[in-house]
Amino acid sequence: MTTTETAPVIPLPARAATTLTGLGALATAASAALPWTWTSDFPGDLTYTGAPAGLQWLAIAAGVLTLVLLLATQGTPGLRWAAPTRSNNAVLLAATGALAVAAYSVTAITVELGGLANLEPGGWILAGGGLLTVLGALGLPLDRRTAVPVRILDKRLFLLLPAAPLGWYGAHAIPDDQPVAPVMTALSGALAIAAGAVLLLQLGHLANSWLRLGKADRPLPPPRRLPSWVEVLVIIAAFGAGLYAITFGIDTEYGELFTGYLLLAALVAAALTRSGLITRLRTLTVQHRPVTTGAAFAAAASFPFTQSSDQYTSVATNILIFATVALGLNIVVGLAGLLDLGYVAFLGVGAYAAALVSGSPASPIHVQFPFWAAMLTGAAVSMVFGVLIGAPTLRLRGDYLAIVTLGFGEIFRITMLNLNGTTGPKVTNGSNGIPRIPDLEILGFDLGKPHTVAGIELGRFSNYYLLMLLVTALVVLVFARVGNSRIGRAWVAIREDETAAEAMGINGFRLKLLAFALGACLAGLAGTVQAHVSYTVTPDQYTFADALPPNSAFLLAAVILGGMGTISGPLVGATLLFLIPKKLEFLSDYQLLAFGAALIVLMRVRPEGLIPNRRRQLEFHEAATPAPPTGEPTALTKAGA
Amino acid sequence: MHDLPQQLANGLILGALYGLVAIGYTMVYGIVQLINFAHGEIVMVGGFGALTAYLALPGGTTLWLALPLMLIAGILVSTLTAVAAERFAYRPLRNAPRLAPLITAIGLSIFLQQLVFSFYPDAKKARVFPKIPGDPFSLGSVTIQRSDLFLIIAAPLCMLALGWFVTRTRSGRAMQATSQDPDTAKLMGIDTDRIIVMAFAIGAAFAAVAAVAYGLRSGQVDFRMGFILGLKAFTAAVLGGIGNIYGAMLGGIALGLAEALATGYIQHLPGMHLFGGGAWKDVWAFVLLILVLLVRPQGLLGERVADRA
Repeated sequence: MTTTETAPVIPLPARAATTLTGLGALATAASAALPWTWTSDFPGDLTYTGAPAGLQWLAIAAGVLTLVLLLATQGTPGLRWAAPTRSNNAVLLAATGALAVAAYSVTAITVELGGLANLEPGGWILAGGGLLTVLGALGLPLDRRTAVPVRILDKRLFLLLPAAPLGWYGAHAIPDDQPVAPVMTALSGALAIAAGAVLLLQLGHLANSWLRLGKADRPLPPPRRLPSWVEVLVIIAAFGAGLYAITFGIDTEYGELFTGYLLLAALVAAALTRSGLITRLRTLTVQHRPVTTGAAFAAAASFPFTQSSDQYTSVATNILIFATVALGLNIVVGLAGLLDLGYVAFLGVGAYAAALVSGSPASPIHVQFPFWAAMLTGAAVSMVFGVLIGAPTLRLRGDYLAIVTLGFGEIFRITMLNLNGTTGPKVTNGSNGIPRIPDLEILGFDLGKPHTVAGIELGRFSNYYLLMLLVTALVVLVFARVGNSRIGRAWVAIREDETAAEAMGINGFRLKLLAFALGACLAGLAGTVQAHVSYTVTPDQYTFADALPPNSAFLLAAVILGGMGTISGPLVGATLLFLIPKKLEFLSDYQLLAFGAALIVLMRVRPEGLIPNRRRQLEFHEAATPAPPTGEPTALTKAGA
Repeated sequence: MHDLPQQLANGLILGALYGLVAIGYTMVYGIVQLINFAHGEIVMVGGFGALTAYLALPGGTTLWLALPLMLIAGILVSTLTAVAAERFAYRPLRNAPRLAPLITAIGLSIFLQQLVFSFYPDAKKARVFPKIPGDPFSLGSVTIQRSDLFLIIAAPLCMLALGWFVTRTRSGRAMQATSQDPDTAKLMGIDTDRIIVMAFAIGAAFAAVAAVAYGLRSGQVDFRMGFILGLKAFTAAVLGGIGNIYGAMLGGIALGLAEALATGYIQHLPGMHLFGGGAWKDVWAFVLLILVLLVRPQGLLGERVADRA
């Protein structure tokens, strides 16, 4: 185990450090009142005095939050709730958030407008404020490990450093008219990137052993008992704030604002976790389960009412579809431990089934089922396919299931392409798909038309958003109820050790088949709504890996990134994985490349995901916990993994 | 049915290609129980390595001279990629729960595909690969493309070499021992890490041979070629009994034959006239996999499917 101490990184008098941090935070927030640049060419128009816009709001948020956390850790009466642990590391994290927003804004302005000359005094104050905040926070007494040995990368990797310029020279030595010249240029580029990565990684290791930041064991003081109506209000306020933060993210209009938002959101989440506020809130939500569930649902349902147009509710609807399917996959992967690599095909089965019975003029079956019947059809057909695929494979080792589902996903797509009338029976129109799927009408309520509720006009996507939210709620309910039941516990037992579970009398095959079929059924259910939302179903919507979610690889990634076996994990993971590619269009060419690399890195660094299941987190990090001080060989503890 | 010999020949050639790729899956699986999803991409990378060598040679070089050089370049690139992947992606996860390396493999597969897609010049569409020029041979009623000669010669040679390596050399026997019981093998003084790297490297070398064969056959390589090829090869490995080297080749040939026969004859079955031809061949290969898993899950030559605790 590592030992920790509380000491500043930069030796400053305590008072000076506090003042410096506070002043920096104030300057960061105040800079938003001044223009950051002189021209309105930069997105968001940051040229006004006293009227913050876009990135400037982020600077205000970062500055104010740092200040609040600083005052809270200093023990200011009335603010102590914000930092129950009194850890200055929380202040440092928030300060890093301020610096990140400042550095990103200044860099973006400089690069996009061409030169530092485009910064107005507001921009300079922002940069200075951000820097000052972090410098001051580094002078606060921080939780640090006593010693971090300097890690040096494998010596052979440093061979890349001289190799990169050599490669560059080599690429230029080849005349341009050679057919191989572009290949060499690409190769030398790859070499340069690899060398850069090695350099950055080594610098990171050096910085880590200098900063030595760590996590001290700070016991939370017992919470002050509040009247229960106050506690309920606190929960509602927290969900309101959460809704506001997420709405801000979805409504960002340009990539720069979203990048800044993402940077700040990540660091603020880290800061609030370290300050202990998140733990406090979690204790509260556990005490008031029904209120929490209600508040979460109400917050989600009120999203369309915050929107003035349908532009972002369509994004939110698609996020909801993606998240629901990811949650269904989480039953299969997270609870039962079955790796399903073709999950999107079940969504496709549901969507195609719904499209065929929707009354679309392109469907060869000229029937129009009412919505409830279409939903049941989609779910049932999906479940039948789940059983067909699962029954032969689930008796075998898990790896077979992975490859069979991968094959199924591909075969589904090929089959839908082939059923076009020339290479097969005419059912699906091949690559053109089934277009013109009519809008749903439930109990005389046409979801395709705008409706006015409480003075706010809800457009087509808002209607579908609310319908989809009901489906999501259903899936959440199924997940929660099944997960805590006898069946769910049996799934977890099978996931951990199938042999031991069977020895305890669990019928492994039957329960695995149940999980697989249930997962397929829920995906089919979501598919029926998706078919109506997107008007058209085509085979290309259901591929293994593609730049746009949902597809099988992104679904799996949403589950793993968010955290396997939890409800909130896949929801957060799906939201992030949908918004990042959507908002950062400049990434579009390298999006899948970054995605692949991120999967590899994530598995090495944080295999349990952002919101880990407690048990899984222990399992993944069991090597890091000290071995029990008995004479038992440590290999025994590994046997279950 | 007069074209049966032709279909059988097509199936054998295709099967040899699947078998070569399947070796890589089966060797790695036999030793570390990992489905290396990225193996299809190792094939693809090997194909592009060979293509690069071809482009680097002065124009007009005869293929007889170019082919060995392309082969060496392809083997070099795919082996290096596979060894690097093992070292930096898989090895740190050796004791992690099972899902972790599988997901790493998926990530690696997407990463390699996109790397070639984004950075190899003009790889956004298929790139032309040289073919062996000349008219096809005729042996009785069977016609064989000249480009397939490479595969017909290379596949048996590779198999013989691998058989000799595994049974006759010290390293090969160490590899067998490791696949039977890694812990005991370690106690006997075998450097299992080295053996694992070797399994990845041999699989990758075979993959490169397969990639060159694929390129010669179809006259092109593209960044997506590894996906379906890998899926088929894995099916072949399961068909023959995963973990068994000879099974991989046998499974490959069985799959190739089944595919050729399905392409040629399924439309003649009553009621199936719409499901024949090239468009459905992947579907039939997959149906075969499901049937095999139902009837003989251990594969043609496999012995056990039970979990090793």
